Amino acid sequence: MSEEASELAQTTEHRLEELEKGLFTSDLSVNEFLLIKEVGFHPVGFVMGSSIYHTGIQTRKWGQSQELTKLTEAMYNARELAMTRMEEEAAELGADGVVGVRLDVNYYEWGKDAAEFIAVGTAVKAEDGVSRLNKLGKPFTSDLSGQDFWTLLQTGYMPQGLVMGTCVYHIAHRGIGQTLGTTGQNVELPNFTQALYEARELAMTRMQDEATQLGATGIVGVRLEEKTHQWGSHTIEFLSLGTAVSKTSDDVTLAKPITIISLDN
Amino acid sequence: MTDSTNSDSPFDLKSEVRRAVASLEQKTTGSASSTSDLSIDEELNLHSIGWEQVELVGGVSVFSVPAGLWNWGQGEILGASSAHAQAFSHAISRIHKEAASAGGHGVVGVRIERSVHPSHVEVSLLGTAVRPIGAPPVKPEEVFVSDLSARDFALLMVAGWEPLGLACGASFVYAPRRQMSAVLQQSSQNIELTNFTEAMYASRESAMERMQRMAIALKGTGVVQVNVVEGPMPFATHAVGFAAWGTVVRLVKESHQLLHPQMVVSMNDAVVAFDAEALA
Repeated sequence: MSEEASELAQTTEHRLEELEKGLFTSDLSVNEFLLIKEVGFHPVGFVMGSSIYHTGIQTRKWGQSQELTKLTEAMYNARELAMTRMEEEAAELGADGVVGVRLDVNYYEWGKDAAEFIAVGTAVKAEDGVSRLNKLGKPFTSDLSGQDFWTLLQTGYMPQGLVMGTCVYHIAHRGIGQTLGTTGQNVELPNFTQALYEARELAMTRMQDEATQLGATGIVGVRLEEKTHQWGSHTIEFLSLGTAVSKTSDDVTLAKPITIISLDN
Repeated sequence: MTDSTNSDSPFDLKSEVRRAVASLEQKTTGSASSTSDLSIDEELNLHSIGWEQVELVGGVSVFSVPAGLWNWGQGEILGASSAHAQAFSHAISRIHKEAASAGGHGVVGVRIERSVHPSHVEVSLLGTAVRPIGAPPVKPEEVFVSDLSARDFALLMVAGWEPLGLACGASFVYAPRRQMSAVLQQSSQNIELTNFTEAMYASRESAMERMQRMAIALKGTGVVQVNVVEGPMPFATHAVGFAAWGTVVRLVKESHQLLHPQMVVSMNDAVVAFDAEALA
């Protein structure tokens, strides 16, 4: 990867300068915007990072379950590039964090191995001027919506960072002997079960490691996504994604929820 | 906007268009009935802040793109970017006119449909004109247009903000082709495709900057609910496009009004909702 591409483009800096003059942009809905204001944050800008990435080729053995490290690396690397660029934009704006982060992978007609990895979110800044940067001195990131962010802060927790773990795994095909042996029977398929377990564990463990690095006490809103992307069957990416949180204030008075019956659907 | 029921009979498009444009000029204030695509909830929300709906209004513009623009070149495809900007601003000024002649002070819940074709860019806007109850009409330039729903509009007004208009920016950039040797060399490696990444960045930055400039021109302090559409053009894979639009807002009261939301447990399926009583 070339050095220039990792730095913020000059046009980006120009756009961000404009934002510093007081205009903010955000992809938050009005609800989310008002809730963010409610907990003492102000949106400062819509931030983005993206990387168009070519994933390499790795040979897989037909009958063997294994992690495809080269593909795992590619998925990690490309997402990290996008995330880091987004964080750089947020830091440039002097933001304390980024909320509502969406991580997407888009495939276009450029070729089946080329994909765009994109991270977008709204950078926010605390209105009281107290820094909310995370342990690593960077703006926190979080895929929580404005509503979830408000609710989380009511409970005295603070997001520390968007954490993820990924694992691209090739699941062995079953031999003809095995297939014939189980025809007509109710039976667990141990090789499939084990392979899926292992791949999921690897992805989850990697996510937890990232959270530990941030000194977080928990991860909320974890999603586990399984996608085959463009690799065909038996090769699956397991991606786990969540927001690492830690408790920052003990002084919490939780409002008692009111039960309502909504009249619309 | 044109009548399509008599499509069997020979159809004089010119006079039809003239009639539609002429009807825009006529002042039709105080009409007895009103059309709107608002739900009952939204109508009640509007009334709760002292506004009413007036009429369903729209604006359409189709702008041509010079032929053969997409395939070869370098840098930004200026013709396409400016066609997009023109189509958008024409559609906006038409919806302004239509809303003003219907007696509206603003348009909410605007549905924005835009499509980019090899030979033209099409933008169509459709929304409900609204005004403070019984207020006299204003000039077309004073009308605001917003893609916020009526509910969001009411919420925003309660919090002391007002919408000022739509801001939109689009940019199309040509991604340089890689040399064949580079393509072959990289085929088995994990590598970032810097030419595409840079083209994507270039189009994104100019599009966002155009949107921001429009927002500043409207004297806004922020843009909410920004939507983005990005990616290569389906008909020209080496051209990447980026479009962003959102509603420009400004704080009108001296300070932001806190709403103090309450936690509610809905008996429906899991949804996140506001307590309407807290807003009254």
